[in-house]
Amino acid sequence: MVSLLRQQKIRNILLQALFAGIVLLVVIGGWRNAQHALSSQNVVSGFGFLHKSTGWDVNFSLLPASPNDPYWWFFVIGIVNTLFLGILGLTLATFIGGLVGLFRTSSNDLLQLLGRIYVDFFRNIPLILQVFFWYSLVTNLPAPRNAMEFGPLTLSNRGVYMPALNVGGWHVAGAAVTLLLALALPLWLRTTRRLASPPEQRGALVWGVLGGGLLLAAAILLLGRAPGAALIDPPRLQGLNMRGGLRVSPEFTALLVAIGIYGGAYIGEIVRGGFKAVGKGQTEAAHSLGLSPWQSFSRIRLPLALRAMLPILANQYIWLIKATTLGIAVGFTDFFMIVAVTINQSGQTLEAIAILMVGFLAINLSIAAIFNRINRAIALKGNQLRS
Amino acid sequence: MADTHPANVPAVQINGMNKFYGHFHALKNIQLTVHRGEKVVVCGPSGSGKSTMIRCINRLEEHNSGQITVLGTELNDDVASIDGIRREVGMVFQHFNLFPHMTVLENCVLAPMLVRKTPRAQAEAAAMRYLEKVRIPEQAQKYPGQLSGGQQQRVAIARSLCMEPEILLFDEPTSALDPEMISEVLDVMVHLATEGRTMICVTHEMGFARRVADRVIFMDAGEIVEEAPPETFFQSPSSERTKQFLSQVLGH
Repeated sequence: MVSLLRQQKIRNILLQALFAGIVLLVVIGGWRNAQHALSSQNVVSGFGFLHKSTGWDVNFSLLPASPNDPYWWFFVIGIVNTLFLGILGLTLATFIGGLVGLFRTSSNDLLQLLGRIYVDFFRNIPLILQVFFWYSLVTNLPAPRNAMEFGPLTLSNRGVYMPALNVGGWHVAGAAVTLLLALALPLWLRTTRRLASPPEQRGALVWGVLGGGLLLAAAILLLGRAPGAALIDPPRLQGLNMRGGLRVSPEFTALLVAIGIYGGAYIGEIVRGGFKAVGKGQTEAAHSLGLSPWQSFSRIRLPLALRAMLPILANQYIWLIKATTLGIAVGFTDFFMIVAVTINQSGQTLEAIAILMVGFLAINLSIAAIFNRINRAIALKGNQLRS
Repeated sequence: MADTHPANVPAVQINGMNKFYGHFHALKNIQLTVHRGEKVVVCGPSGSGKSTMIRCINRLEEHNSGQITVLGTELNDDVASIDGIRREVGMVFQHFNLFPHMTVLENCVLAPMLVRKTPRAQAEAAAMRYLEKVRIPEQAQKYPGQLSGGQQQRVAIARSLCMEPEILLFDEPTSALDPEMISEVLDVMVHLATEGRTMICVTHEMGFARRVADRVIFMDAGEIVEEAPPETFFQSPSSERTKQFLSQVLGH
């Protein structure tokens, strides 16, 4: 018996079993304790409340919502809102970050300085302060009667107004998905090695997919157009308020701008790091072969830098998605805020928090899975010599 | 090889060239003429400026004063003349510097297709010819990271050859290789030397210098100290510093 305990493998198995047992005991104990406490307070536990109607409303929703809708539908609305804010925020942050990173790695001293000031400033102020700052800025804009106009945008303390399409919501969503595919597919077609033909002979295919996709998106929009109305519906002042157009609420505007600008500072540093990670030797080889600065950037430095950036970028994206929970600070009905209000209204604390955790786990594990997939697809083959 | 330059124009002519890194005087009043088709080996202790000198020839380093003329075109700030010269001057690096995200074949066809606008089929055919010349055609579809150091360096040589350069610069091409791989690269270089291309090689391989060099140049502390045909250079070097260097390199 004692000699069995001396064997490494048996020892490892026993230790694992002991550890798993302790964890199990703690979980079961906690669960029983919670049940006991809840029943002694006459709280009904379980997920039955999901089918009850909420009795309260949300201030922002992409999907139809009313106080008669059940809780589960509100959770769907919350996840969709979080994803909507998250995807737009990440896009904006990536765009800003790309610019800032390029500024910081450029050979121009002024651009370098601008990039550095940007990063130092926006990275070092807590995100929640930035959310409050933009929120107070937007809510202190002039009233609709004196609204500021920037091209098609109208800025007022009721929110940002822009011309809207007189098109049904599902058609807009369909057109948006088609548009995304029309942009993403050509990118994939341009680079993939899965097709037999060499990449530069796919020009017709690439342009065909792009053009066809754009046409299809336009067709979907036209199909969904409200009969008799003009296709574009500009915002206009009527009485004391704006009518028509698309209103972006101050809450959403503040969160989007804050996440975009704050995330942009971090992503700018990731982009800079990615370019710094590209070996000087590869750039020199490109120059010595006669490649122009643009060719050596687009064919050598950018593809190599992207590979260095992606793992850290995934990390940052997951972080920024979680930052949407600051919606509760300004009253934007993201997933977290809906869960918080649910707890208040229904008293189902444990259940609502479990749903919140599962929801965020699902979102962020999906992001991680997508990025792992891309990483694997473009990973450099073989051993790399650093030079 | 594109024979667009009159034969009497030297491949490289360097006149009173100086290079500084801050206050450090890296290259002092360099005077060098390399004729077309000539094979020149540059040697010297580390830090003597050999690499810096040949890196000035394709403007990977900028010289501070003096003149560098390559195939009749002077190297200055003019971007067009830099581009023109880089098209005609190939370079092989100590650390190979292959593009790790592209296959061997893609490494070879990239510059001809982008810079010379060669159609892919033609560029690939030429690349396969050069990969055969460096005895590695079977690796065309692999990635650099999957090859040994010696194989990577031979791919790098093929990649330079694909641009059909008039002049080939070698910057310590065997210094980063394991001993058993040095000879496979040197064999390729010896074979290349028979083909009439101008070659300037920075190397410590004295056997290679003896076999193929028309001229050996010895540099020390940023200066060209000695310049002689290999027999003279190895038998009866004139300067004390050369003698000392040779005794250290050939001593064992």
